[in-house]
Order: sequence, then structure tokens, then C-alpha cells
Amino acid sequence: MKSLLLASSQNSTGKTAVALALGRLAQDRDLSVGYMKPKGTRLQSNVGKTLDTDPMLAREVLDIEAEMHEMEPIVYSTTFVEGAIRGRENVEELQERIVEAFETLAEDRDFMVLEGGDQCTTGRIVDLADDDIAREVDADVLLLERLDSVNDVDRLLGVADRVGDRIAGVVFNGVSDSMYDLVESDIVPFLEGHDIPVLGVIPHNRELAGVTVADLSDELGGRVLTGADEEVFIERVLVGAMSGEAALSHFRRTKDAAVVTGGDRADIQRAALEAPGVNALILTGGFEPPGAVLGKASDHSVPVLSVQTDTLATVERAENLIRGGRVRDARTVETMTRLLHDHVDVAPLLE
Amino acid sequence: MPDASGLFDPERVAVVGGTEREGAIGRAIMENLEAFTGEVVPVNPKRETVLGRPAVSSVSEIEGPVDLGVVVVPPKIAVEATRELGERNVDNVVVITAGFGEAGTEGAARERELKEIAAEYDMNLVGPNSLGVLSTPNGLNATFGPANARPGGLSFMSQSGAFITAVIDWANDQGIGFKDIVSLGNKAVLDESDFVEIWDEDPDTDVILGYLEGIEDGREFIDAARSVTAETPIVMVKSGRTEAGAQAASSHTGTIAGSEKAYEAGLDQAGVLRAENVQELFDYAQILAGQGVPEGSNIAVISNAGGPGVMATDAIGDSQYDMATFTDDTLSALTEALPEEANIYNPVDVLGDTDNERFERAIDIVLGDENVDAAIVIATPIAVLSYEPLAEDIRRLQSKHDIPVATALMGGERTQNPNTILQEKGIPNYFDPARAVSSLDALLTYRKITQIDYQPPRRFEVDQDRVREILKTASQRSNRIGVEGMGILDAYGIETPEGSIVDTPEAAEEAAAAIDGNAVMKIVSPDILHKSDIGGVKVGVAQADVADAYEDLLTRAKNYQPDARILGVQVQEMVDLDEGTETILGMNRDPQFGPLLLFGLGGIFVEVLEDTTVRVAPISEREAETMVGEIDSAPLLRGARGRKPVDEPALVESIQRLSQLVTDFPAILELDINPLVATPDGVQAVDTRLTVDPDKL
Repeated sequence: MKSLLLASSQNSTGKTAVALALGRLAQDRDLSVGYMKPKGTRLQSNVGKTLDTDPMLAREVLDIEAEMHEMEPIVYSTTFVEGAIRGRENVEELQERIVEAFETLAEDRDFMVLEGGDQCTTGRIVDLADDDIAREVDADVLLLERLDSVNDVDRLLGVADRVGDRIAGVVFNGVSDSMYDLVESDIVPFLEGHDIPVLGVIPHNRELAGVTVADLSDELGGRVLTGADEEVFIERVLVGAMSGEAALSHFRRTKDAAVVTGGDRADIQRAALEAPGVNALILTGGFEPPGAVLGKASDHSVPVLSVQTDTLATVERAENLIRGGRVRDARTVETMTRLLHDHVDVAPLLE
Repeated sequence: MPDASGLFDPERVAVVGGTEREGAIGRAIMENLEAFTGEVVPVNPKRETVLGRPAVSSVSEIEGPVDLGVVVVPPKIAVEATRELGERNVDNVVVITAGFGEAGTEGAARERELKEIAAEYDMNLVGPNSLGVLSTPNGLNATFGPANARPGGLSFMSQSGAFITAVIDWANDQGIGFKDIVSLGNKAVLDESDFVEIWDEDPDTDVILGYLEGIEDGREFIDAARSVTAETPIVMVKSGRTEAGAQAASSHTGTIAGSEKAYEAGLDQAGVLRAENVQELFDYAQILAGQGVPEGSNIAVISNAGGPGVMATDAIGDSQYDMATFTDDTLSALTEALPEEANIYNPVDVLGDTDNERFERAIDIVLGDENVDAAIVIATPIAVLSYEPLAEDIRRLQSKHDIPVATALMGGERTQNPNTILQEKGIPNYFDPARAVSSLDALLTYRKITQIDYQPPRRFEVDQDRVREILKTASQRSNRIGVEGMGILDAYGIETPEGSIVDTPEAAEEAAAAIDGNAVMKIVSPDILHKSDIGGVKVGVAQADVADAYEDLLTRAKNYQPDARILGVQVQEMVDLDEGTETILGMNRDPQFGPLLLFGLGGIFVEVLEDTTVRVAPISEREAETMVGEIDSAPLLRGARGRKPVDEPALVESIQRLSQLVTDFPAILELDINPLVATPDGVQAVDTRLTVDPDKL
């Protein structure tokens, strides 16, 4: 059996999508696949029980029938961290719990994919950082990293040092156009010179980075007032609180944006509809916009959402959603599977 | 546009949805059509007759031709009814029915369908969501307003139907009459430009009036209006002038808040007289309909009251008029006709004890003066003067001397009959002398409009392909383009300083070595909008410091915005600012008027002084010259305080070249050249910034 743990030096690098996509690719090779996220970090309160949403998605995508408490043996909540700092957690017992769960999950499996914490250092307080876990369950480590600037290479080398010989390689995800050439021509050879194999460079992908209007609508609990295409992408949020004339100039300079404004600001709404880079209009306070504006929205094929929350709360929630990347769903995994296939040498990871 | 004569002058009108049901709009229209001299055919499947007129059950059953179809059935059926009218070859249709684009998504879809039908059958379609149309000569009142209008020479279009009903009611009271009235509704097909053209061909329309909240296609309107205004004056109120007003207009009609400057420039270029409010709209319309334009700008004031005379003189000071200087003959005649205490100089004061005879004599003398192009008669009520004969005298003398006259016969009820007497000859009478001045001022404005000689824009030889190439490449990265777009200006013959964009310190040194003297270095990134604010511009960099400056610029940019895409650094020849004057030249694409060119004083004070002027492109050479000449700081360009004057023709040419660029490329939404340095030896575009719509490339 082969075990692979995905770790990152920072949040939101796409671990879940890559882990599950790797699982899918392994299944394509007729391998029996198991999934585990030893520390649950993406917590969501569900009927009094705090759960990580990633294992739930894993069950769906990889068709695994394992127990949730085994797939996610430690709920890494604030309460847990506070307790650990106060010395209420027994480190050895926790390690045992993880190893036991792992062994149960790995039974009869050919390939186990493990998803690390938010950052690879998460869990250090109880000696359960990602490199600790990899050692406990004897897994190889795949580093999944973003590269926003050359300065990120320092951090990457630090993490690679900790992982040591267990490193299976590095995959860069979501690399922007402006960085792509630099990564391919300079950074990859540099890392390989330091004995760190780079298995692939995945370019920035809108389907993964962008949130669709439908996603936003779900997240904000909005009511869709026009029947326009909700699958268009939103990459940024702008607030409309200026004069109509100033708004047009402002909105024209943007791209793939949602404009958030009050339902009573018909002038801003109208300006937003005119700007080619505005893909959606979000009206706050539960107001109905004037019919004339809705009519124009339909002429311009721009979806209009009405939400109950105020502008500030709406912007915050929308931005959080966009920052966290696309809502993790089966389709995200499908896209990632395709990207891995096209850009990453997966053979050494699976074999 | 197909023949629109049937719209206001039909012989046969079909009313789809004509009914007898009390309170129905279809009934109101049938009632209003009772005075119509032509034939009315109600279409109603449920009735044999409507208000005594034989009905047909469907459009297809109407026998013989129909010139005008009026649709008052509910929205879903209205679309079908319009199609049936199209199939019956009805050229003109008024859709009264509401529930279209103004009523949300479904309505907007219906309105698109309506547009398609109008295009398919080549129909003149008014509305939807219209109050209707009205024309007085044939008694056509296909509106659901409460009153019919008096006959007259004003043709009026309004984007608000409710406003029409109020205007008719008020105008009837004021004795103001109309030729045609149209409620534009949602302007799905016919808009303001079309009606300007329709009334241009109408000999009975003396003045075109409009109440608008937005203009559908500003350029089309400018072109249509220009060809009309030489013969028929156009007066408009455009509401939504202020921020709050624009917000209200967006809510009311879904009109986008265009720039007020664009409207000012656009209507001005169109030769339209813009009224600030409803009162001015009708003041201007009435005097334009009733009187000819003055031959010059010298005005006389004749009054029996010193105070109001001074008030009028003040208002004249604010107007385009000058106080006329009387000829010696006039002065002698006035000396003879008036008592010694009277003021025979302009403003003439005939004194408070004046009777009708003395007043009449004075008016006759003054109006006969060859130096007087227009006159204002002011009177206050006194026992020995009666207004009615005075009004008769003014009317007669205005005809005799044939110069524009406005009056302020001040008072209450006693002015009612004199009002009517004067009104009949198109002489407006007001309580406030200042309003009389303002109305006469409109005549002078109109005279200037008729004298404009519109010239076509000059075409320059340019490299369109190169611009398209640069725009395409740059817009793949971002919809904002900075100095990497300097080549666009160069391709259109707008001079730019020597320079290049480099991406290593070594290349920067090489580029700097190729330049005479010190260099200017700028960070090049589509993501950094305000380079100088983040220290992204270095001026006067010596050759030895170029590599350091390169590193410093990159570091600053990265610190400011780590994810900004850096294309490199521009190394540019220094332009001597001491020798020149910084100006700004730019364009902002207005949603209604299109490319709005801006020219003004540039440099650090541009935002404080706001000394700029705008025009809707494309512009002629003369318009470009006017732009340069009309900014407040024009004397600076022309060599104030011993400075050498800048190369003004080069500035004028740059404005025209930019005009051509933004007209050729609708994809350019915004473009700023700031600064455009004007020197005695030409101009240099030092920096530029654009916003583009890649979909339009």
C-alpha cells in the first residue's frame, strides 16, 4: 500500500481538490483508494456536531463508505487548541487515535491519500504537524504550493527541510500568467538543484479560482431577480456608493466583478449594468429595484441578486467566499483531475 | 424610417382595445378621438359597436387601409396585436400599454419582441408605456389625457406621459397652443432623434420642444438636430441634471446617469436651446414661435418705473445683450416727446405720470432707432395708464418696426386681457422684467445657432492596424493600459517623447544611454493605476543611477501591490516642463453621447482649478480651435507675462487626432493624456492611461 500526505506552507492552495483528484486518478488505475484528513480544520456546525466538510465531499467523490470520526479523528477547533495549550490533551493518546483510524481506513486499500492541516505547521502544539503525522503513518509528502512572488521560495525550502526524505515532490497550483515563465525557467531548475523534485506547475484556472454567480447566490442566501446566466465567474467585489457618473468610470476599470449596492441606488445599478466587466449585481437590504432597472438588466443579460443583509456584511461574505476559492464540489474535483492529468507527473505519486 | 406622416395625420385609426367599459383607458382614447376628423375603427372581439362606432373583432378583419394603429390591450396581447397590425401593413403604431421594459425581466423580454416585430414589418412604433399621440389640425387625440390641446405651432415630445397631461391643462389656461404632441414612453423604436426629423419636415411646426430624461443615441441626436435647427428651433429640458436627479431618472425610466458635461456639450453641439426648467421651456418656445431673431445684440428698455427699469438693466448685464446707444435723432425725438425730468437715455424712463399717449410715442421712437435690435417695455399700474390699449399699441408697434419685444406689464388681474392681446402676436408678458430679458436672450442664442457653419471632421493618415495590435495584446493582460500603450498615440500622430520599455537593469542602462540627457523612469504595470502616488515615477535620472532606479521602482511596486503584474520599466526622454505648459487631453465614453473629449490645463492644479472644456467627438478643426481658446487659462498658452506662446496649431491638431482615434476605436472607454506638454515647438504626450472593452475589439 502507498500513502501520500498533501501539505502546504499556507492556506487555500487547493489541497482538497488535488487530494480527491489524485484519488480519482488512482481509481482510474484500478487502485482501491482511501481518504483521511487527520485534523479537521474546515469546520462547519451541523446539528450540534462540528465537522469538516472535506471528508464529506471525499465520501461523495470517491464513493467511500467510511465513518466520519475515522476520516477526521481530530477536530482541530479553537476549543481543542485552547485545551491543548492548557495541557488537557494527551499527545500520545492523540497520536494513537490517528494511527488507529488510519489503519482501519487503510485496510484493504491500495492507495491512501491524506490531507494536511491548513498549513503544514498546524498541529505542532500537540506534535501533530503534517510532518509528524507523515512519520506516524509512514506516508510520503506532496507539497502543494502557491507562488505569488520569488520570495515564497524561502518558505518552501524551510518546509522541505522539515519533511526531509519523505518528500515526494512539489506541485505548484494556481500560478498566475505573470509568474508562469519565471517558475518554469528559473524556480523549477533551482529547486531541482536542491534535490526537490517539481512534479508539475498548474496554471491559474478560472473555474477553480472564480466563484460563479450561482455560488454567490447560495452563499449569500440571495434571491435571483433576473434569469440571466448564473454560471459566469466573479473574481472581485466592488461596492457602489458613489455618484452614478463616478460609478461608471470606476466599474469600467474592473473585470469579472460583482457590484454590491443598495436596492434604492438605481443610478449605481444602471451604471453597473453598462460596464462590460461587471458580471452580477447584488442588491442589499432586501429591496426590490425599480422595474426599469430590472428590465435593463435583462437586456444586458446581467444577473441581479437581492439579499437581506446590509452592504458591509454582504461584501464581507462574498469576499470570504472568493478568497477561499470555488466552493468545493464534485465539479471542482473533476476540473482538478483534468488539470493534474495535463500538467502534473502523477505516476511517481501513485506508484 | 418609413413614411411617418400617418402618425400625426392619419385618415384612418384603428384602436385595438377600444371599449365602452367605464374607467378603461381604451374608453378614454375612444372618447378623446370623438373630435377626430378622420375615421376611427375600434377593434374589440366582444362588441359590435364602441361608443356608436362599428367595431371589428380582430385586426385582420379591418377592411381597407389603416394609417395608425393604437394598442391599448394588456401587455401579452399587445405584442400579438402589434404583429397583426404589421401583417396588415400598418406603418404607424402607438403602444399605450405599460408592462414592458419599465416593469422588469418579463416586460423587458416583451419589449425586445416588440422591437423585433417593428423591425420585421418596418413600422414606426411609439412607446410602449406611452400616453399616446395628439395633433391639433385634424383633432387627433389618441391619448388618455383628460383634455385636448389648443391649436398652435409648438410640437412637443415628452418622456413623461403624466407631464404632458399637466402641460396641456396649463397651456390651455395660458393660451398656448400645440401642433403635435407625442409621449415617447419607453422609446423602444422611435426616439427623440426620429421626432426631430419628423417635425423638421412639418411646415406647421414652428418650434420643437422636449422633456427628456435621457437620450438614446447622443451622436445620432446631434446629427439629426443640427440639420433641423437652422429652420426650426429646438428647446429641451433634460432632467436628471444633479446627482439626486440622475438617481431619480434611473429609477423612473432606467436611464443611465450620463455626465452632465456630456449633455451640456452634446445639446450645445446639436444646436439645441437648453431650458433649465419648465417655465423657461415654454418662455423660450413661445417667443421663438412668435417672433423673429434680432439682427444684433443691442437692446433698449422703456419703462414708466425707475426700479423695474434698473432690474431689467441688471438682467441685461447678465445676458448676451448690450444696452443700445440711441442715435441723435432718437434722443431729439425723445426730448421733444417726454417731459424734461424723463430719462431719454437707455433705459428710458417715461416717468410715473405717463399716460398711454406719451408711452406709445416713446415706444414708437425707441423701436424705430436703427441701433436698437430688441426691446423690453416695462410698466407699473397707475391711474392715468390703462394696460389694454398699451398692449394694443405694443402689438402694433412691434409689427411696424419688426424687432423682438418682450414686456413686463406688471400687476395682478388687470394683466390678464393684455396678456392675451400680446400673446396672440407672440409677445410674452411677464411680471418679472428679468424673465423678459431671459426670453429675449433665447432669441439671440438661437440666432447664433442658425449662424453655425458645421464642418466635417478632418481625417488624418494614421496606422489603425498598429493600434488594433497594441490594444489586442495589452487587453489580454488587463482592461487597463498604461504607458505600454504609448504606441497607440504615436500611431495616430500624437507626438510622444523618445523612450522604450525594458525588463532588466542592463537594458534600462542601454535605453538611457540612447537618450540625450537625463531620463524619466516609470514602472509599467496595468495593475498600478496611480504610478506617481506609490513612487513609481523617477524624473531626471542620471546615467549612473539608472540601474539603481530600476531596482527601486520594482521594489516599490512589489511592496505596494505584491500581485501586480510588472511589465517592466519605461525609460523615457525628459521633456522640459519649464519651456512648456502642461495640459490634459482625454476622452471618456459617455453612455449616451459616446466619446466625450476633454481638454484643459494640466499639471498639479488640474483637480483644483478644473479648467477644462468638453466636446462630443468627432469634432471639426474649428471646434478643436474653440476648445483650446475657451479654457480660462488660454492666455497662459498664448504667452502670458513674457513667455513664448505655445504651438497652438499642434495642440489643435492633437485634439483632432485623438477625436479620430476614439471615433475609430469604440473599444477605448477612457483615455487620458496627462500631461500633454505644449511648448513653443510642438506638443509631447508624456504619459497616458486607457481603459478598454476587449469585447469591442
